[in-house]
Amino acid sequence: MFGIFHFLRKIRNSKYRDSNKSVASRVNNSLSKKLSDNLQYLNQLFDMAPDLVIRHIHSDQGAVYAALVYLDGMTDKNSIENNILRDLARGKAPNEVSVGSIKQTSEWKQIEYDILDGQSVLFVDGQPKATVYCTQGWPQRAVEESTVETSIRGAHEGFVETRSQNIAMIRRYIPNRELKIKELIVGLRGKTKVSILYLGDVANPDILKELETRINKIDIDAIMNTGELAEFIEDNPYSPFPQLILTERPDTAASHILQGRYIVVVDKSPTVMAAPAHFFTFLTSVDDHNSRWMIASFTRILRFIAAFISLFLPAVYIALISFDYEVIPVQLILSIAETRSRVPFPPILEAMLMEITIEMMREAGIRLPAPIGQTIGIVGGIVIGQAAVQAGIVSNIMVVVVATTAIASFLMPNYDMGAAIRLLRFPMMLLASMFGIVGIVIGAIALVAHLVALESFGTPYGSPLAPWRFADMKDMFIRVPIWAMIKRPKSTDNIQAIRQNKHRGDEDS
Amino acid sequence: MKKDAKSGITFMQFIFIIHGSQLGTGIFSLPKDLAEHAGTDGWISLILGWSLSVIASIVIVLIFRKFPNDTLPELMIRLFGKIIGKVLIVPVIFYFAFFVWTILTSAMMFIKQWFLPMTPDFVVMLLLIAPGFLVARKSLRILGRYCELVFYIMMVMFFLFLFPIGDSHWIHLLPILKEGWFPVFQGVSSSVYSFLGFEIVFFIYPYLQKKQMAIRGVVIANTITLLYYLEVTLICFAFFSPDGITEYNQPVFNLLKIIDFDFLERIDMLFLAIYLFEVSTTWLPFTFGTLLSLGLLFGTKNTAPSASVLFLLIVVLVFFIHPSWNQNAEWMLFIGTAGIGFAYVFPVFLYLYVLVFNRLRRSESL
Repeated sequence: MFGIFHFLRKIRNSKYRDSNKSVASRVNNSLSKKLSDNLQYLNQLFDMAPDLVIRHIHSDQGAVYAALVYLDGMTDKNSIENNILRDLARGKAPNEVSVGSIKQTSEWKQIEYDILDGQSVLFVDGQPKATVYCTQGWPQRAVEESTVETSIRGAHEGFVETRSQNIAMIRRYIPNRELKIKELIVGLRGKTKVSILYLGDVANPDILKELETRINKIDIDAIMNTGELAEFIEDNPYSPFPQLILTERPDTAASHILQGRYIVVVDKSPTVMAAPAHFFTFLTSVDDHNSRWMIASFTRILRFIAAFISLFLPAVYIALISFDYEVIPVQLILSIAETRSRVPFPPILEAMLMEITIEMMREAGIRLPAPIGQTIGIVGGIVIGQAAVQAGIVSNIMVVVVATTAIASFLMPNYDMGAAIRLLRFPMMLLASMFGIVGIVIGAIALVAHLVALESFGTPYGSPLAPWRFADMKDMFIRVPIWAMIKRPKSTDNIQAIRQNKHRGDEDS
Repeated sequence: MKKDAKSGITFMQFIFIIHGSQLGTGIFSLPKDLAEHAGTDGWISLILGWSLSVIASIVIVLIFRKFPNDTLPELMIRLFGKIIGKVLIVPVIFYFAFFVWTILTSAMMFIKQWFLPMTPDFVVMLLLIAPGFLVARKSLRILGRYCELVFYIMMVMFFLFLFPIGDSHWIHLLPILKEGWFPVFQGVSSSVYSFLGFEIVFFIYPYLQKKQMAIRGVVIANTITLLYYLEVTLICFAFFSPDGITEYNQPVFNLLKIIDFDFLERIDMLFLAIYLFEVSTTWLPFTFGTLLSLGLLFGTKNTAPSASVLFLLIVVLVFFIHPSWNQNAEWMLFIGTAGIGFAYVFPVFLYLYVLVFNRLRRSESL
């Protein structure tokens, strides 16, 4: 029975996959000597592609002796017109044309790929070889600051959608020949170039091997974004926590490389991915190493408190109000009871109502264009907040709780981690409404157990807290002065730990 | 079974697993138990109990020194042959499983009494077990990390107990040895129960990465436990009157009740809820032992199915039995007696046997 199933699946897969089988079956894989044959085959290959330009080049006698083929829009017109065509018209040989990168090939598959990649290909009559000029030039946007990860004092450039530019931006931070770049291709139709960047003498080769195997295993039409790639290769897909760091900032990416991590740059995506990641890396922000260390430590502690608040505060409120009111002092419980006296709902319903409203406002704020987005705040803050209390739908205390929670959740520097914590708030609230404080503690135990069990590319996710790595604590709850962080974080499992030798200059003298 | 470096546990994790499995719900009634036998000299019994448990754990380590890659069931099979060895594992499995059961039921009853009197037993039990399942089906390494993290979380507890110091009367402790040594020795029995849990070394020793540190590890683990017990006992003795302490079933709670802040009252309730973390590190190592032995008995490495069966069994049993405090006390007594046999007496005999066994084997090979 399984045999039949397997056979059917094979048929389905072959139907679905083989995009170029009809052409490929008829013609062999190498070029013909005759130009007309090659052009005819090319026309078959790129059937229904009006953006394919075939520019015939005439000899002095008027006969066609060569043809330049490229995809309009994917190429840099300047370079084709001013360099290739002009030089060819002047009678220069194909490999003397003044273009940066030239290569020759006789493989149709390679040619097809190169044309689709934005290069231009010159076929010459009588030669079973084609010359490929690097003339890539697709629409690009300028380098701008990332809107998601902003920093006060850090660099104001963010990644763009072109891989080579992104790599260049990272290389500007680490101009070292130990910065290795490994190229892979993902996707059957998309053929997205994926590059792994790392420091050859620092990063752990086991992780690279694992990373490569996982990326090579991906078998899909195309990937659009780094997030898709991340979902394919992360360790535990059933976890709410992000296990790979996604960033849009070259300085963050470079600092991850220097800490011994691997960076994965995906073509066509302005986000890059860093691995291995740990829970506490998601709570650090770009500005932490850029502002004075006491202030950075303070904001970091604030962030941890905020994570706690945004995870537990509504749940604790529900638990205390509906189960364990003995814990609250009498004065406070009286005032809470007063504001709650007009509210007909049980606390869980009240909290859910407000939390979901806030979440909807947040989502609406993202989708709307910026000028309208601001009104969301006014509508949400004034209308929902004040009017809901006056209408007796929610209590004042609840508004305070929900607003505090929302603000606390904005402190999360990483969007994915913030989203995970926001999401986990709801099960916590449910547990609290069913079992009170015990429910919250049970939820917390489950959370701790999950965090401890998670791994990111063979390195423990809870590091440096569990397993305890005291040396790494220098950059966790507090951020000690940069000159005191002599070693790279151990949690990245690197093979060369020393990152600086000298302490502050004036200490030696 | 291969214990590679990746599934191994660090020295710290070794300590915290042992410490975690020692410190359970017993701490709440420990001062009362000690006071009943030894009066305010109970803390001396505690130290005596500690030295006994340290000796026993060292003996266990000495046994395994000779067979560094074996856990207890594997050692049994090596020493007594496949069939007798497997038969001998069965009581061990029962002991460990029963330990899990006793801890869980007592934790369940604490929760029911203090927080959720109306919730059915089995629901509370499910609640307790559910997060444990996440850890129990994973490797020992995960359990080690978990115990480590929980230890750090629960360090707050140590300082919380110091709050009532201002209201205590240290004069209650004097005179030392007012009734001589005899009551103190009587108290040793109840303190020895409290140190039960170090027998987990039977299972985790082969996973320890630095085996030469093992003896240091067990001593440190027992000492940390002793510090907690000593702190609680001394403060309870000093806080309550020597006669009054035996009137409370769980004097530690009555002690915590008097701590209160302006913004929070009833610290004892919050404390008990958070103490569930500590409870989870008590029963999880024992679950690990049970699952490991079961796996060896049936020849599978995958612990997830046996974990599900074990947990389901516990929930179903709770559903039908409806444990009461008295029943639980009986079970405690039973597991305590069995534990003394298993953790204190058995290692000594096993050690002697191992010595003889090695002598015989050496002479055979000669």
